[in-house]
Amino acid sequence: MIRMIRAVASLKVTLVGIIMLSVGAALSYDNRIDSTAWVIVVPLAFLSVNLLAAIFTNPRINKQPGLLVFHISLLGIVILAAIGRLTYLDAHVEIVQTQPFDPRSMMEEYRGPFHAGSLEKVQFIQGPYTVDYEPGMQRGLTFSEVFLPDAQGNSVSKIVGDDRPLILEGYRFYTTFNKGFTVLLTWIPDQGAPETGTVNMPSYPLFDYKQANSWTPTGGEEIKFWLQLQTGMDPEAKWRLDGRNVSGVLVVTQDKHRVELNPGDTLSVKGGQLRYEKLLTWMGYKIYYNPTIKWLFFVSMLSVLGMSWHYWKKMASKPWPDGVKDPEVKSDKSNMQGKTV
Amino acid sequence: MNPSEIATELPWLWSGLAAYALATFVAIWGVAPRHHVGHGTAGNINIDTRQHERLVLGLLLAALVFLTIAIAQRWVRIGHGPWISLFELLMSQLLSLGVIFTLAYWRLPGLRASAVIALPILWVLGTWVLMLDPKASHFPATYYNEWKWVHVFLGKVYLALLLLGVALSGVMIMRRFKRTAVFFTRMPPDATLDKIAWRFMMLALVFDSLMLIAGAVWAQDAWGRYWSWDALETSAFLTWLALALGLHLRLTYRIPAWISGLMIIGIFVLAFTTYFGMPYLSPSAHKGMV
Repeated sequence: MIRMIRAVASLKVTLVGIIMLSVGAALSYDNRIDSTAWVIVVPLAFLSVNLLAAIFTNPRINKQPGLLVFHISLLGIVILAAIGRLTYLDAHVEIVQTQPFDPRSMMEEYRGPFHAGSLEKVQFIQGPYTVDYEPGMQRGLTFSEVFLPDAQGNSVSKIVGDDRPLILEGYRFYTTFNKGFTVLLTWIPDQGAPETGTVNMPSYPLFDYKQANSWTPTGGEEIKFWLQLQTGMDPEAKWRLDGRNVSGVLVVTQDKHRVELNPGDTLSVKGGQLRYEKLLTWMGYKIYYNPTIKWLFFVSMLSVLGMSWHYWKKMASKPWPDGVKDPEVKSDKSNMQGKTV
Repeated sequence: MNPSEIATELPWLWSGLAAYALATFVAIWGVAPRHHVGHGTAGNINIDTRQHERLVLGLLLAALVFLTIAIAQRWVRIGHGPWISLFELLMSQLLSLGVIFTLAYWRLPGLRASAVIALPILWVLGTWVLMLDPKASHFPATYYNEWKWVHVFLGKVYLALLLLGVALSGVMIMRRFKRTAVFFTRMPPDATLDKIAWRFMMLALVFDSLMLIAGAVWAQDAWGRYWSWDALETSAFLTWLALALGLHLRLTYRIPAWISGLMIIGIFVLAFTTYFGMPYLSPSAHKGMV
């Protein structure tokens, strides 16, 4: 049994494992969608078994504390990465200004089979945002205001954006380039109660040239419209996208006639009336949840500390062989040959 | 033309490159075999190396000063550091590689002849940067993150340590040929060079690991994921694996010095491609940068 474990712990097996992992990494190059996770999982499992066996049987590892810490940490990283994949959540959501975050509106959602976060406890309301642009439409800083409930039930403002995510219940909300305008509409049917809703227009300024959408109210027919925006956009200069300084005219095509609606205007259409209440904005967030990331950081740093400790012990007593600091001192070749550090 | 569009850093950059070129020339001249010159002691290879070395050191220091001014000028002109375009990456690497190589050159006199290998590599970068457009680059919002500084600093130390290893590897390989071996008679034996070169590799592995960790923290903050197998991340990970493979190969087999040198050069080529190939192939260092 011991002989078998020693064979598994062999450095030659490690070499094979590293080559396998290199091939797996090369196959995953540039996040190819046709590459399977197994090209990474199998070599990592192979190397983990080899490493575990080496930790138990190889005195080069288990008798040297620095190397031991380094290799155990490597195992820890693999285990944490695996737990992360089983429990993660990755999704996108578009939240309209003045509206609360609703987990049901998440899109492109991927989650590990054992994801068990408290998404239902995440509460915030989207506020306005600004995005700075440099000449040439180069996107700069994003400042997105959100409102969080405090312990007294009051609303507390917080600014997030870019590399400053909103972190609630372990879920990290990152602003994205995907954001735009929303029209708040009220449908007043000929019979029945009015209903109010929002319609998100395509991402702005990415789809500046096609701010069009449609809405089919309950009991009514599809209403097609496009939004004529005055945002102050200047592709050749610095400018700031700020929904509070933007005006939008809603252009509705009805029976081949073009009708322009300003906020507050009402239009009679078949089956009722459409009122354009006001212009709002929406912000697209990337949502990420992974309970292991802090631990991954800690264990990764521990691995480097272990490695550094080991090298320090190796090198501290005599950092430079003879002839390096002082070329006149000749080194003894026989002492050097074939030795590794 | 807007004054900020005039590349005022170029004269300083050219001066820095000229100083590197002179240093390269003097370094080669200093170790080249000649007859009846000066008061050296190595048989018919009779040269005053110390004088040459002092001159090389002076030229390297001058190059570093010029490059520092060039980077500062550009920083003031475009409003951000040399983080984005290939022109900026090469310029900052010319400085950081130069700083660490100069330190090694100063503190480790026994390894000075390896400048014959290291300085031409710097000149590859120098020639490349001359061919690039120095136009101002856009500073993405995600680059305001503090971890970028940590990541970049560690990466620069890592690449410089690899350069030191490559310089010694070049010596070990060139010693196999009679014509070139005479350049390195004053250096320690191959076994010593091999040992030191792999010590540089070990340190490189430490800094590479730290660079990957800092990069992952930055990526988590900036793009909402710590790892996504993008071109640069994968390439950096492959270099880390190549380092680990090299160290384990040395533990497993007795490897002749020149093959060991080839392994180090292979690792350096991978790292070099990661630094200067990926940003060149892709318009941004990481996908999703903007």
